[in-house]
Amino acid sequence: MWALLVLALPATQEAQFSAPVRLAAADGLVRVESPGWACPAWHDVDRDGRKDLVVGQFHKGKMRLFKGLADGKLAAGTWLEAGGKVAEVPGVW
Amino acid sequence: MDLDSDGRTDILSGSYSRQDGDMAGLFQVLWGTAEGGFRKAEALAGSDGAVLLLPAGDSEDVDVDRICTRPFAADLDGDGKLDLVSGNFAGTFALFRGEGRGKFAPAATWLEAGGERMRVDAHGDPFLVDWDADGDLDLLSGSAQGGVFLFTNVGTRTAARFDASKVLLEPVGHAEPSAELGDAHLTRPNDSTRVWADDVNGDGKLDLLVGDNVTLYHAKDGVAPELAKEKLAVWLAAMEELFMAAGDDFNERYEALEKARDEHVREERTGFVWAFYRK
Repeated sequence: MWALLVLALPATQEAQFSAPVRLAAADGLVRVESPGWACPAWHDVDRDGRKDLVVGQFHKGKMRLFKGLADGKLAAGTWLEAGGKVAEVPGVW
Repeated sequence: MDLDSDGRTDILSGSYSRQDGDMAGLFQVLWGTAEGGFRKAEALAGSDGAVLLLPAGDSEDVDVDRICTRPFAADLDGDGKLDLVSGNFAGTFALFRGEGRGKFAPAATWLEAGGERMRVDAHGDPFLVDWDADGDLDLLSGSAQGGVFLFTNVGTRTAARFDASKVLLEPVGHAEPSAELGDAHLTRPNDSTRVWADDVNGDGKLDLLVGDNVTLYHAKDGVAPELAKEKLAVWLAAMEELFMAAGDDFNERYEALEKARDEHVREERTGFVWAFYRK
């Protein structure tokens, strides 16, 4: 008789997720300016009850705001502003 | 988050290094305004009035313990006050205990697991969330090599004690550049990951948003894609040879190869945001 050994391999942690997808907004895939380094945050910035996507980047430490829409999609990105100008975090690049 | 408990959303950011003085990453805050906007970024000070800095390391060169800060504010010790956990270039994590209303102790301690500093490969990226739904805060982190790592809190809501890290998403490591043009071939995040956990699709389960860093190549305007792809493959092979051989003329040869490549290929450096939805 054949003795069948079954090795029970632990499922990778990644198996708990669906295949990854890149986020898209009304103006295309969410992406950052050169040299890269996208840093996402998910928060209701405009306090309309729907969470928005904010993506920081390396270049000038700017952040892009993609407002969450009623249909679950994201609006086209706009630069986050501070004091009436495009916000920049110093010392990033 | 509302860093100073004034009812307004604030933005907390790290930075690579300050521009004057010895290299050290500051923590920058864009305080929220009553109108729902933000003020210009300013460096966060500790409760002693001095800018908040990570503990100095013992490097004689660039202090990798102190640069490339990546802060996250959460009440780690359950005392009702936001604390600050920061990553750095070295890949370790520092805790500044909160004193309430946006004030933080000036000196930080390094987070440990099993008696050693908690660490990812480099570019620690802490995100505190109750990942296993047991009532305390666990720590997720991206890293320079990509992927996402989980440090489970095996302590309590008021006394955090972290376990050794587990791989939640596999890092790409030092992946070879792709000879493909464009971005259609991408199927997962590349390196230099930054993570955010939330119920993004509203199904009651925590998902992951992962930002990354990737270099793409495109055919230059007027160049046929087939030719561009061929030139790209030639360049990649030549670069591999160059790095193996090294030599005194490395810089000159590197620049010459790039110049030849750039006649047919355009390089683009960018980063995307990937969603991993929990099944």
